[in-house]
Amino acid sequence: MLKTEKILHLKARGRSVRAVREHYLREDVRCGSALCLTCPRDGKLLSEDLTHYVVPDCQILQDYLEVLEFPELRGIIIMQTACQSVQHQRGRRQYKRLCSLLRDTRHDCILFSNEFQNHAYLPREMGESALAWQTRCIYNSCVWYYQHCQKKIPVVMVTEDKSVIRQYNTETQEVYVVSFQIYLETFWPNLKGALELYKSLKETHRERELESREGNGKEYPEHLPLEILEAGIKSGRYQQGVLSVNKHRAQLEGFVRLQGLGGKETDIQSDILIYGTKPRNRAIHGDLVAVELLSRSEWKGRNGALCENETDEKAVDAQAEVMPTGRVVGILQRNWRDYVATFPAKEDIETQGKNAQRVLVMPWDYRIPKIRISTQQAEALQDYRVVVRIDSWESTSLYPNGHFVRVLGRTGNLEAEIATILVENSISVNPFSEAQLAEMPSNTPESPWQVKPEEGDRLDLRKTHLVFSIDPKGCEDVDDALSIRKLPSGHLELGVHIADVTHFVPPNTYTDIEARSRATTYYLADRRYDMLPLILSADLCSLLGGVDRYAVSVIWEMDSSTYEIRRVWYGRTIIRSSYKLSYEVAQQLMDGDLEPLNTEMELHPLKQDPVRLEQLLWAVGKLTEVAHATRMRRDMSGALELEGVEVRVQLGEKHSIDDLVPKQPLQMHETIAECMILANHWVAKKIWECYPQHALLRLHPPARQEFFQELKECAKARGFSIDTRSNKALADSLDQANDPSDPLVNQLLRMMATQAMSNARYFSTGSYTEDEFYHYGLALEKYTHFTSPIRRYADIVVHRLLLAAVNKGPKDNLLGNKDLEELCRHINVRNRAAQHCQKQSTELFQCMFFKDKDPDSDQRCISDAVIYGIRTNGVLLFLPRYGIKGAAYLKNIDGLVLACKDNGRCHWMPGSLQRLPDRIVVTTQEAKSFSYCLFDHVTVRIHVQSSRFHPDSIRLEIIRNRPHSSQEALPSASNPQLARSELVKEVTRTAVEAQLAVEGAEELKPVEHYQEYRQTQGQSLYSMLEELWDLALLDVSGA
Amino acid sequence: MAGLELLSDQGYRVDGRKAGELRKIRARMGVFAQADGSAYIEQGNTKALAVVYGPHEIRGSRSKMLHDRSVVNCQYSMATFSTGERKRRPHGDRKSSEMTLHLKQTFEAAILTQLYPRSQIDIYVQILQADGGNYCTCVNAATLAVIDAGIPMRDYVCASSAGFIEDTPLADLSYVEEAAGGPQLALALLPKSDQIALLEMNSRLHEDHLERVMDAASKACKDVYAVLDQVVREHLQELTTLLGDRTAA
Repeated sequence: MLKTEKILHLKARGRSVRAVREHYLREDVRCGSALCLTCPRDGKLLSEDLTHYVVPDCQILQDYLEVLEFPELRGIIIMQTACQSVQHQRGRRQYKRLCSLLRDTRHDCILFSNEFQNHAYLPREMGESALAWQTRCIYNSCVWYYQHCQKKIPVVMVTEDKSVIRQYNTETQEVYVVSFQIYLETFWPNLKGALELYKSLKETHRERELESREGNGKEYPEHLPLEILEAGIKSGRYQQGVLSVNKHRAQLEGFVRLQGLGGKETDIQSDILIYGTKPRNRAIHGDLVAVELLSRSEWKGRNGALCENETDEKAVDAQAEVMPTGRVVGILQRNWRDYVATFPAKEDIETQGKNAQRVLVMPWDYRIPKIRISTQQAEALQDYRVVVRIDSWESTSLYPNGHFVRVLGRTGNLEAEIATILVENSISVNPFSEAQLAEMPSNTPESPWQVKPEEGDRLDLRKTHLVFSIDPKGCEDVDDALSIRKLPSGHLELGVHIADVTHFVPPNTYTDIEARSRATTYYLADRRYDMLPLILSADLCSLLGGVDRYAVSVIWEMDSSTYEIRRVWYGRTIIRSSYKLSYEVAQQLMDGDLEPLNTEMELHPLKQDPVRLEQLLWAVGKLTEVAHATRMRRDMSGALELEGVEVRVQLGEKHSIDDLVPKQPLQMHETIAECMILANHWVAKKIWECYPQHALLRLHPPARQEFFQELKECAKARGFSIDTRSNKALADSLDQANDPSDPLVNQLLRMMATQAMSNARYFSTGSYTEDEFYHYGLALEKYTHFTSPIRRYADIVVHRLLLAAVNKGPKDNLLGNKDLEELCRHINVRNRAAQHCQKQSTELFQCMFFKDKDPDSDQRCISDAVIYGIRTNGVLLFLPRYGIKGAAYLKNIDGLVLACKDNGRCHWMPGSLQRLPDRIVVTTQEAKSFSYCLFDHVTVRIHVQSSRFHPDSIRLEIIRNRPHSSQEALPSASNPQLARSELVKEVTRTAVEAQLAVEGAEELKPVEHYQEYRQTQGQSLYSMLEELWDLALLDVSGA
Repeated sequence: MAGLELLSDQGYRVDGRKAGELRKIRARMGVFAQADGSAYIEQGNTKALAVVYGPHEIRGSRSKMLHDRSVVNCQYSMATFSTGERKRRPHGDRKSSEMTLHLKQTFEAAILTQLYPRSQIDIYVQILQADGGNYCTCVNAATLAVIDAGIPMRDYVCASSAGFIEDTPLADLSYVEEAAGGPQLALALLPKSDQIALLEMNSRLHEDHLERVMDAASKACKDVYAVLDQVVREHLQELTTLLGDRTAA
C-alpha cells in the first residue's frame, strides 16, 4: 500500500484553512467488470453481454444524471472522482440519488474507486484547475480500466467539453472520448426518450447559466465589492435604495425605493421592481441595496390580483403596465434585526435529513425568508415563538444561516404574541433601571415635591393668569395647558403652557439616554410603555389641576378684534392649573350648559363664585373664537380639511364602531388642536431663526400624484372628481365629494386620500433647503413638535433648542446638524415602529376577539361592509362596524366565482370575472351576471385564519350582496359602544382567565393593571391629528 | 460539503483504507543522544516524539518517593504547530493533564517498577503533528523510548484506536473520522498476554457492538506490535553492527 498526501484548502468559517489528508493507493481495487479474471467477483458486476463501457465525466454526471438513470443505458462506470464532484457541487440530494442508483441491482452501473487505484489515480498538479484534473484523472482511469480488462472491451468516455474531446480522443486506441449527444445518437439510436431528455436538460442548463452568469453550483450570483458599487452608483449605472418586500407576494415581488437621487437626472420616477428571489440576490427586507436595471424588454408588471401567500403563484396574467425592473447587484448595508420565528412541525423536521440539528425556521414576518439555524431543541420548542438572528447568507445557500437567541413564549399566548410584536418592531421596553430612577426627584406624601425658590428666573404666572387644561377624560399625562386674558392695552394675551420636561431630564443623563433610545411612548391596544419614568410622566411633569408645576410657555399678544399676532414671548414659567377640564365638560360650558358644575368635583367651588365662573366661561369662549380665526387663516392657504371626518375614520379604522353613529366631533377638540398647532408653528419659526443650521423641524412632503390614482378612480365611480393638484384643491374637492345617502363614501375617500400621502418626518434644517420645510397637510411653511414632551423625544429636543434660543437654557449641549439628522432618523424609525406596533396589536386583538367565535353561528361575525377597491379576483372591503379593512375573494382556488341568487345570498359557482374600473362583473355559466360596484354595501362573514408561523389574520367572505340589515336587532349592535376598549377588555379577560387556569387562583391583578393603563392613548383629538399624517403609511402591496 | 461519507459502499474509508487497515507506521529509536532513551514515530500524519530519562534518583520533593517501586513521571504536550491552526497550549491544560495521567497509568502497568525502588523514570512525549489517535501514537512512541532506554517491561505496550461507523468497526481513526463524532475507543494492550493496560471510550456505544470494536482494536494493537517489534529488531541490528564495528576498530 502506497501512501501519498493530498493537500486541501478548506474553507472553515470564512477563513481558508490548509488541511493535509492522507491518501492511500492500492492495487486491489475491485473493478466490477464481469470480464475481469483477477478481481474478486462479489457484489454488483457489469453484465457480460456488453459491447462497450461508458464513463461519464463530472459535468455529465452533475447535469445529466436523469439521462443516465434510463434503465436501457447499460454498462455505465461511474468514477469515484466524478461521484465526489457531484457530492461537493450538487449537494446531498443529488448525491443520494446517485448512490441509490448505484445500489440498485437492476441498473447496470457500478462505481469504480479510481482514486484509490495505484495506477488509475493521478495526483493533481500545481496550478491545475479542479476540472482539468478531474477530467485527466477520469481519462487515465478509463485507460487503466481498458487495459485491466485485457483490452477486451472498448471504453467510451462521454463529456460535454469539446477541448477535452480534441485533447484525448486519439490518445489511446479503443478508449473513445465523445460528446454525450453523439454517444446517445450512435450507440443508442433507438432510445429516443433519452436523447429528448438530454436536449431539454441541456436547454434548461443553458438558461440557468444565462441567468446566473457565473453560477457554477451557486444559488445566487456573488455580490459586487463595495468600491465597484460606490463607483457604479456615482456614475448612475446602479441605483441605490431600500428593499421592501411585498407582504402578500413575499416570494416574488420586492420593491426598491430609490433614495439619494441627489440631483442626478434619472428617468425613473417610481420604485424598481425586483421580481423573484434570484434577482433579489439574498437581500432581505429593509436592506440598503444597489440595483442594476434590466433592459426594458425584461420589465415586468406588478400583479393586481389578490393572492394568499400560501398558494403557488400562477402565471402572471398579462399586465399592460410594466414598471422598471432590476436585479440586486450588491448590498450596501444589511439591516438585519432580531426576527421572531417558529419551528416547523415535528413531521417536517424529520424530513429535513438525518442531520436534524439544522432546522429551517419560519419567521413571523412574511417578508423574511426562512432561516436555517442549528439547534438541538427543535422538538422541545415546537410551539414556542423564538427570537432568531441571521448570521450570514452565502451565495451557495438558498436560505440564510442564523442562530437561536431566546424563547418568547407559547404560540397563541397573549403575552408571547405581544412580545412578538415588540421584537418584530425592535422595541425593547425593559423597566427603568435603578440608575435612571435614582435621578428622579421624589414626590411622596411625607416629602412632597415643591417648587424651588432658586428657580426665580422663571416667570411666575400663578397669581396673574387663569390657566386650565382640556384633555380627554381620565388622562394622567397632561402636557399642555392654556391661558387667555385681556391686557390693559386692550390686546388679548393667549398662552400655551407645556410641561417643562427638560428641567427634570438634563441632556445625557441616564433618563435622557433611555428616553432617546425609546424616542416615544408606545401605545398598544391594551397597555403602554412610557418614554419617561412614571413619576415624571404622570406626576411631576403632568400639569395637574391645583398644584404648582414648571412649564415652558409661548405667550402671544394679539389684536382683540382681528386676532393678528403682535408679539410673542417664549420662556420658562411656573404655573398652577386651576381647572382640569375634559373636552365634553368644556364643550358643555361653552354651550352655556352649567350642568357640569354639579357633576364635576373640581368645579364645585365655582357655584359659589360667579366671578370666577364668569372668567372661565369667557376664557373658554374666547379661546374658541381665537382658534377659529387662526384656523380660517390656515384654511385660506390650503390646509387639508381632514381632521373632522378623517379622525372619525381613524377612530373607525383602528378602534371600533364609534363612528358608525354620525357624531360630530366637538368644537373643543378643534380649538385645542389649533392652539397646539399655533404653538408648534411659532416655536418652529423661533428655533429656525436662531439655529438655521441645526433646528429640529417637521415636514410633510407633498404626496406623489400617482398615488392619488386610485382615489380619483373611486371618486369617479360615484360621480365626484377629486382635484389633487394642490393641498387646497384636494381639500376643497374632498369637501364636495359628499354623498348625502351614504356618509361612509366621504369617509372612505378621505381615508384613501390619507393613505396616498407621504409620511411626515422630523429633520434637521441644515440638511434640507428652506422650500422643502413645507408641511403639506397643515399648510404651514415651518412646523415642529413642541407640545408633548412627555411622550415624544423630539419635543424634548425642541424644548432644549427653544430655551437655548431665548437664553434660558444651556447652549453647549445642543446637537450639531449631523448628529441631529442622525437623531431625527432614529426618532422617525421609532415612530414608525410605534405605529406598526399599535396597528399590529390592534389586529392581534381583533383576531383574538373573533377567534373563539364560531363564524357560522355567532351573529357578531356577520357584518356590513363597503367595497372600496377592486382587484382582478376580488374586492377590498371596509367594515365600519369593527373598523377592519380586508380583502374578499370573488374567485376561489378551484376557479369558482361568487354569484348571487335573487334573494341576495351568494354561492360559489363556475363562471368568470371581468374587472372594470369601478366594478367587477361576475358571469356565471347560465350567463347571468352580477356586479360588485365601488361603495356597494355587502354582508360579510368574518373568520380568523390561524397560522402556525405567522400572525393570525382575519378573512372575509361575502355572503350577501345587500347591506347587513338586521344589525339593530343584534344585542351587541344595539349597544353601539362596543368600542375598541371593550374588545380589548374582553380579550384581556379571556387571556387572564386562561392564565389563571394555568397558574391557579391568583389575584385578579391583571384586570387592575388594565385600568391603570387607561391614559391619553391618542384619544385627544389633537394628538390624533398629529398622528394622522404618520398613519398615512403607504401600503405598496395595494391589497 | 454535506456530511462526509466515512465508509463508502465499496468499503473504502475517506483516505482509501479498508475498515481494519492501519495507517502507515514508521518509527526510529535512539533519535537523541543526550537522553537515556528516545524514539520518533509516525502513524500516518500523526507524529510524536518520546524521550525517557531514568531510572534516576527522585528529583524535587522527596515525598513522592515510593519505597517498593519507582515513580513513573509522564508528561504529554502538543507542539503549537501540530494542528491546522497554531495554538498556544500552556502546560497543564485539561486535555494534556488527562493524557499525562493516562500515559502514567499505562506505563505503571507495563514497566517493571518494583525493580527500581526509590527512583524515578521520566517519560516525555510531544505530539509534533496531530492527525487523530494522539494517545495511541504517544503510547507507541513511549514504548519504543522505554525500550531504547533499556528499562525492563512486561511486554511492549501497543495502542490503537477503533471507531464504529455504519455498523462497521474501523481501526486506527484519522482526524477526519474522529471529528465526525462517532464512538471512539482507545486501547493499550500488552499483546503477548492480551492484557489490557488501558481502555478508554469517549462516547456511548451499544453493548452488543462493544466486543466487535474491542476485537478490531486488539487486532490493530497486534498489528502495531508487529511493526514495533520489527523496528526494535532493526534498531538492535543496526546497533550491534555499529558496536561490532567499533570493537573491530
